[in-house]
Amino acid sequence: MKKIAFKTLGCRLNQYETDALASRFHSGSYEIVDFNQQADIYVVNTCTVTNQSDQKSRQTINQAHRQNSDAMVVVTGCMANNYKESLLESKNISYVVDNERKAAIFGIVEKHFRGEVADPEGFDRDVFSYEAAYKTFHTRSMIKIQDGCNNFCTFCIIPKVRGRATSRPAADIYQNIRSVVEHGFKEVVLTGVNIGRYNDNGLNFEQLVENILALPGDFRLRISSIEPDGFSDRFFQLFAHPKLTPHLHLCLQSGSESVLLRMRRMYTAKEFRAMADKLRSLYPDFNLTTDIITGFPGETEEDMEATLQLSRELKFSHIHTFKYSVRTGTRAERMPDQIPEKLKNQRSNAVRKVSEVNKREYFTQMIGKPQRLLVERFGADGVARGYGQNYIPIRLKAKGIEKNTFVDVVLDGIHEGKELEMTAVLL
Amino acid sequence: MMNSDFDSLHQVLSLRMLTPTAYVLRVERKGLEFKAGQHLLLGRNGSIESREYSVYSTESDDFFEVLVKEVDDGLVSKQLKQLKAGDKVKLDGPLGFFTLEPETIANGKFLFIATGTGISPFHSMVKSYPGLNYRLLHGVRYSNEAYDRQDYEPSRYILCTTGDQGGDFYGRVTDFLRKNPVLKDTHCFLCGNFNMIHEAFEILEQQGVPSSQVHAEVYF
Repeated sequence: MKKIAFKTLGCRLNQYETDALASRFHSGSYEIVDFNQQADIYVVNTCTVTNQSDQKSRQTINQAHRQNSDAMVVVTGCMANNYKESLLESKNISYVVDNERKAAIFGIVEKHFRGEVADPEGFDRDVFSYEAAYKTFHTRSMIKIQDGCNNFCTFCIIPKVRGRATSRPAADIYQNIRSVVEHGFKEVVLTGVNIGRYNDNGLNFEQLVENILALPGDFRLRISSIEPDGFSDRFFQLFAHPKLTPHLHLCLQSGSESVLLRMRRMYTAKEFRAMADKLRSLYPDFNLTTDIITGFPGETEEDMEATLQLSRELKFSHIHTFKYSVRTGTRAERMPDQIPEKLKNQRSNAVRKVSEVNKREYFTQMIGKPQRLLVERFGADGVARGYGQNYIPIRLKAKGIEKNTFVDVVLDGIHEGKELEMTAVLL
Repeated sequence: MMNSDFDSLHQVLSLRMLTPTAYVLRVERKGLEFKAGQHLLLGRNGSIESREYSVYSTESDDFFEVLVKEVDDGLVSKQLKQLKAGDKVKLDGPLGFFTLEPETIANGKFLFIATGTGISPFHSMVKSYPGLNYRLLHGVRYSNEAYDRQDYEPSRYILCTTGDQGGDFYGRVTDFLRKNPVLKDTHCFLCGNFNMIHEAFEILEQQGVPSSQVHAEVYF
């Protein structure tokens, strides 16, 4: 039996696609091994959203080759689209497979081992032809509903490497969810590049979510990262449904109106604030997390202060902080007043400090409140770990509980570890 | 599922000069769906460089037109200017959400504010929807940059100039806006340079126009 190892960099969409591929190889009688182990095939699902992502992707490709120089190394993901020519020249890489043909990797590998010519270009392009993922690296089941983006934010390379927005047929999504729920998954996470723009022949994102919530089964639904534009009142009301988790990763990017306009975002800081206020007025413990880019060209100290101020005010419990990276082919590449790296680092650190304070305050606010913990794993100390519906990491010391089950708990404290977590007791 | 490279090549039909540096490029539409206000990504065939241009032509035209101003230190605007009928351009789109809400078209009041070639999407909207209740503020430096002025109803078009006094108003569009407040139920569409849009947003907010009724397309 051939051994295959996977490594995913970047977003949840990549994670979903790796899960689906792993599941396909597992059912195709391949043994899935850890990426640090000796394997016959290494699949590196790359990211190219920042310079750092490029660097990590290249390091991972080299790592695969170092572990077994005779192994087949398949490179896919956004870097494969963005740097195809240079990757094809590398002797350490067997195949470079673009995002549109990623789902064909099983077919490419099979063909290769049959001794046939396995040119990836000969396989059909289809961004949704993944089979339901059962053999996954996660307790939560990610469901791809959409791919690509038409927003063309001035800093973003994604429209170039993921292509134009396209939506998966709703019937396929419902079937996929029924299937993973029947298979035992308790949490479904919707993923895509710009899921808020979902549109299947007039069926929009809100209607899709409403229909998913009506599906039978003991599962909860999480909306992952979403762009803050185009929400109607109905969207906010959906969170009253017990199956929909009260958490959004709502991408702010900057708190400065001027920077948002130059980023060509589809909202203003004022509109963002109004959305957050509305969610918190309806659901006081609603958990908001976000992305922020520091050091966008022309970002002033006043712009940065506006970002920090809004981050404090909106109490994001986690801020994924990125330093702006020049991406070739984007509009921001040609903008004046690029910010020095040292200043970007300082500003990123300032954002991270706000994030840490916010997280502690949010966790403190949640002490004494109930959560439905989905047990994901047990530590060496026997402590159960997982997430509540508000996407709070929870530790639970209790007997007789099992992995991948819901447990009703009450949060009773904050655990100071490598990452801040909350502790809980059984309800 | 996706267009092939061959599909993305469109033939140039004509190039019409409006001023020594501004021109209208007409290319094949190839039946692509389009809503007035959307833009295209255009570049010379064989070049990796492309730029975004709002569509100038109407929803019912069987071709696409874009209004281009040659930029002094630009690349693509100079390359496109050299094209002749029969040449090919690389085209992606139409894209974007800078479009009119269908339910507002018949009875809504619209204020369009443009600087320079930012008038392009409004040209498309006005010509696509005859009878539209609009007012168009067009800010340029010199009055000869009133591109295809004859295509707008004279009572609805206000040319704001800063370099000469040949327009309807001497000053920036934002100066005009301050002196002539808009009604709160107006749907405002802004297209052009960053500074104008940033300033216009603030003025409209001060005048009580809800942000949900202000839409912007930034040109850089």
